[in-house]
Amino acid sequence: MFESPYSFENLDVGQNPTWLNWFLSLPLVIQIAVVSILISTCFILYIQYRIWYIRFKNYIYNKRVKYIVPILDDLITEQIVLKSNASQNQFGEPAFNIPNQIRAEFRSRKYRQIIIDRIIKYQADFTGTIGTEMRNLYMELGLDKVSFRKMKSRKWEKKIRGIRELTNMDILIADVNILPLTNNKRQELRSEARNAYIKLSKNEPFKFFDVTTEPLLKWDQIELFKTITTTENIAIPNFARWVTYSNNKSVVAFCMELIVYYKQYDAAPAVVKLLENKDHLLRAQAINCLGKLKYEQAAPQLVHIYSNQPLNCRLEILKALGRMGNKENVTFLKQEFMYSTDFDIRKNAAKSIVRNSNKQQIDLLMESCTPENQLILKHNLNPLIKY
Amino acid sequence: MLQIGQWLINFYESSVFAYGAILLLIYTMLAIFSFISIRKYLRRESCSDYHDLLKSALSPGISVIAPAFNEGLSIIMNVQSLLTLNYPIFEVLLINDGSTDNSMEQLIKVFELEKVDFAYNPKLHAKPIRGIYKSTNPAFSKLTVIDKINGKSKADAVNAGINVASFDYFVCTDVDCILEMDTLLKLIKPVMEESSRRIIAVGATLRTANSCDIDQGVIIQMKPPSKLLPKFQEMEYIRAFVLGKMGWNLINCIPNVSGGLGLFDKEIAIKAGGYDAQSFGEDMELLVRMCRYSGDNQIKYAVKYIPETLCWTEVPSTIKIFMRQRSRWARGLAQLMYAHFKMFFNPQYGRAGLITFPYNFFFELLAPIIEIVGLIYYLYLWISGRINTEYAVLLLLFVYSYSIMITTIAILWDQITFRYYKSWKDVLLLCATACLEIFLYHPMIVFFSIRGYYYFLTGKKHVWGDMQRQGFGQARKN
Repeated sequence: MFESPYSFENLDVGQNPTWLNWFLSLPLVIQIAVVSILISTCFILYIQYRIWYIRFKNYIYNKRVKYIVPILDDLITEQIVLKSNASQNQFGEPAFNIPNQIRAEFRSRKYRQIIIDRIIKYQADFTGTIGTEMRNLYMELGLDKVSFRKMKSRKWEKKIRGIRELTNMDILIADVNILPLTNNKRQELRSEARNAYIKLSKNEPFKFFDVTTEPLLKWDQIELFKTITTTENIAIPNFARWVTYSNNKSVVAFCMELIVYYKQYDAAPAVVKLLENKDHLLRAQAINCLGKLKYEQAAPQLVHIYSNQPLNCRLEILKALGRMGNKENVTFLKQEFMYSTDFDIRKNAAKSIVRNSNKQQIDLLMESCTPENQLILKHNLNPLIKY
Repeated sequence: MLQIGQWLINFYESSVFAYGAILLLIYTMLAIFSFISIRKYLRRESCSDYHDLLKSALSPGISVIAPAFNEGLSIIMNVQSLLTLNYPIFEVLLINDGSTDNSMEQLIKVFELEKVDFAYNPKLHAKPIRGIYKSTNPAFSKLTVIDKINGKSKADAVNAGINVASFDYFVCTDVDCILEMDTLLKLIKPVMEESSRRIIAVGATLRTANSCDIDQGVIIQMKPPSKLLPKFQEMEYIRAFVLGKMGWNLINCIPNVSGGLGLFDKEIAIKAGGYDAQSFGEDMELLVRMCRYSGDNQIKYAVKYIPETLCWTEVPSTIKIFMRQRSRWARGLAQLMYAHFKMFFNPQYGRAGLITFPYNFFFELLAPIIEIVGLIYYLYLWISGRINTEYAVLLLLFVYSYSIMITTIAILWDQITFRYYKSWKDVLLLCATACLEIFLYHPMIVFFSIRGYYYFLTGKKHVWGDMQRQGFGQARKN
């Protein structure tokens, strides 16, 4: 019968097993290779198990969703959507008639995140009484406590989730808890805290503009912009304050976007001061802002500084003059269109000319210019071409 | 003389050993780095809300550039698919690169196109434009079709697209690729999340669409390829994108952004000279040139990658087409190394010069040559009886188990990330494919790469459009 030379049966008392002798007799490199083969094989088997486990976990989660969501949906339909007077119960009575067993299930660890997500979804889809009822349901199930606990977590992503849940459900968070987070090192948390602060703070929702030292990233700006422009009952300040005093360039740039959105014509003089700023990107944005505000008083200054500006600012000046729509500006625009050697300058000047001229004037210009400039004019005249 | 010979043999053996050991260490490092990178991405994603970006007027505009050459089989559906992308401000620039089929006629008819007087200003070199078309139907207002003379390369066509592009960022894709609806949202996010460095390019994972259920340009169900060759490529894509690119992403050393899908900073791309029409690996070449331009001009830059699959593409399903593709890639790599050798270990180019370029040189360019030489030497030792069979088998087993482990890790990371495949069996089969790779797929790659290097040295001519596809023109349900 075959007997393995490396089996334990060959072990003599007081001696190493033969497979160990074999292993020790190998050169170091081969020993490392043998160990690596074992590690790799174990690791491959472990990975297979992990892949299976991940899929199994997902399967279980889906099963839970399939079980609990219809129960919640039925409850919401019955007690909120169909019976809109659910909250008009007598004092002391629970607002919702939820059987104890289901209430316990809603609160259980395995279902509560699913429930929170579902209620938030309903809250986002409905406004008015139904929205308020969703909030009441969320509080009655004690889910606000769960969200507050998340806010206190050490993990930043959990904190964010907690803040987001509370903000979505319009639950007040104390300034003292949220304001420090608006300057947090972690960008995602900082951004979420700023959004929450604007949405929930009853005192000065824009206070963090004064204290923020970190730049507002473009992504943050988009989220903030949405929060500011969609939150109801928010007192909109004059953003010229930050345009004038803030040392944070990104705050200044963002405030200019808000000035345009809210058409804060009063803020224009503060923006004009930025034309002397050393940063050409900020200058370009200031010019853009003045153009969108149609602040005609700035036109002479724009024409005056034009020749000293880099290309991006020049293009913005041409666009701004077009938006302002002044006859004197058209003369300047024509001059740039006719004599500039830069294609982009001629294209932008033509666009502004087309905006402010009638057909007769355009025809006249067309006759006097080069074939290339004629093409540029035709390009800008064609309604099918947007840019 | 004998001593010198012995010394040379010892030197060669030690070098190859060191080379192999470093390569294995790099793979281990990439596995760890990619895990960290993916974890970071997923944590950030769990807090991201793309709806804000989708509705915001502050979102930067993006030009989607899709060159097409004789894609009449599926061009209409693919353009329709591009027009339905989720993004607030974008345009689709379809470049008909002198197709000889009826692509242009189809486009004019279906999208109600009309030739317009477009002020075309070529900033990058490209073959002349025959006409630029816009749709008279407002539903297709985002579409611009550029009809140009065939430039015999994808690079030439994309350059024409960049010349027409209106926005600061452009996404380069192939017209036969299927993009996820949120592709633009996800690609622009890394650009908007960075303030200290300029993001010059963003890439995302590509996957094979060969066996997926597709209807009207939309993936209905993701399935790994049923044929062996595409299955090998799927496994390779997962390893290269999810493990490789994401690993390099952590240390800002991404070597290339795939030609199938990538977002680029237009200003830097133009200043770097755009795509090189003479290059066989134009996507990698552009990125290297953009990095080089940034290094020369002291621009602090980064290239980002996201582990999510945003693009589905048809990979070669026959050995003949696969051979052409891989030989072309290898040739492109050789060209690139030759053209930008100045970057090699040049500290002026930062990590691109000190890490990415040397890595590509030693472990991408030289790898097939080292393997072939090693194999010949191994055979010689074996024939002359100088091999210890026991040790040789153990070492081969080690390399084999290690390679399977690395591929399996990549598949695990992929499963952690998104679980594209519905069935566990699909995943298991994909893992099993790794067991065959070393015997069937890898030798092919090595051989085709050597063929590419040979063509590079001999300067054999090559034409665009060698990748014959089945197309996704019709609803294809497997």
